[in-house]
Amino acid sequence: MADSILKRIALGNRDAVSDCLDTYGGLVWSIARKMLRSQNDAEDAVQEIFIDIWKNAERFDENQSSETTFIAMIARRRIIDRIRKSNRRISADSFEDVLSEPESRGDRKIEISVEAGEAAEALRTLKPEQQQVLQLSIVQGLSHQEIADVTGMPLGTVKTHARRGILQAREMLGITGIGKEASI
Amino acid sequence: MSELEERLLDLLEKRTFDGLTPAEERELSELNATDDVSLDLTAAAISLAQLEKVEPMPVHLRSRIESAADEHFTQKVSQSGSVRTVRESNTGWWNWFGWALAGAACIALAANIYLTRVNPPLAAGPGPTPTPAPVQITPEQQRAQLLASASDIAKANISAGKESYVPSGDIVWSDAKQAGYMRFHGLPANDPSKATYQLWIFDQTQDKATPIDGGTFDVDANGDVVVPINPRLHATEPEMFAVTMEKPGGVVVSKREKIAVLAKVETQKS
Repeated sequence: MADSILKRIALGNRDAVSDCLDTYGGLVWSIARKMLRSQNDAEDAVQEIFIDIWKNAERFDENQSSETTFIAMIARRRIIDRIRKSNRRISADSFEDVLSEPESRGDRKIEISVEAGEAAEALRTLKPEQQQVLQLSIVQGLSHQEIADVTGMPLGTVKTHARRGILQAREMLGITGIGKEASI
Repeated sequence: MSELEERLLDLLEKRTFDGLTPAEERELSELNATDDVSLDLTAAAISLAQLEKVEPMPVHLRSRIESAADEHFTQKVSQSGSVRTVRESNTGWWNWFGWALAGAACIALAANIYLTRVNPPLAAGPGPTPTPAPVQITPEQQRAQLLASASDIAKANISAGKESYVPSGDIVWSDAKQAGYMRFHGLPANDPSKATYQLWIFDQTQDKATPIDGGTFDVDANGDVVVPINPRLHATEPEMFAVTMEKPGGVVVSKREKIAVLAKVETQKS
């Protein structure tokens, strides 16, 4: 079986970078555009993300996730870091636009990786409040405090929903890690 | 769960949702838990599950990244102390390249002789298809492609907002492709460190008080700009667009203190 793109990058194969951009360029760009408002920010972030991908390629473990999910993980980390450093904060007192995203939009989702399909299934099994908190946090990039402001939930409740939701989703995806028993 | 495990979980969870401060990074490293990426992978899978479309990366950005790759891999080789190997490798590659070039030249010469002999020069027909060089597609060209490929284009002409200047231009939008472009002339340049322009989309699904965030953009001294629209939410049959001036990075909800542009949708192809 041919080596994965990330393995080839880890071995210093420069050509694999072009393959990586062919395969994952659009995906990373789309994630950045979804989470960052400014096109310039997104462009800078995507460049940083790909450098992170090259630096971390050797950490990819095909027994733990697909390449797609691993790359999406690196993308999210870099984007979250940028958001945190920019001190982006919600400044207005009305948040209906953030909350108004329809919950059930499965018909418009695209199947990107096996884990993505399984994650969609896992999300559907969570309590509505857990789904809402995870979507606002992971998809919209809001902090727990911002979610508390948006939803009117106490901060502690937001944290509880976030933790239980993500641990439960992790368990359903079959990913192992610390804190398994706390997922119930 | 032990206190230590509880703390570990706190840090891993914070890394997943909000990112860690340098001090927290160090703490996680000291706890030897940096490699536990289980929550990050879960969040990544959820974010992929919520992605509605994959847009192509802009060509100019790809070029930038390819250049960065060249630099990165060169540095990596230098830092790993294997310069000699690379030189040897390069020498070998150049030797191979030289032979390949000579071979290619012979083939090209033979082909040229053959084609010249068989066909008159002007009736030779199409030659081998050249490999297209990467072409940078400007937003203007992307806009033209959208207009050519989408059958549901809604169009809105720009009118002045509540500021002293009178910009012109138009906005086009396709529901099916969830893509659109703004074209402006006469918008004043903004200082990105102080303020940015932000688009708002008023569509059928949103309350008028909370339009969809269409993304931020900057205008330079030229004043002419074509900007892709990137809505944060799915937009359905927009009725109106507005551009406000906001703080750098944009806002979630505009106070509408500085409305630069208004554009009411006038035509929608069925």
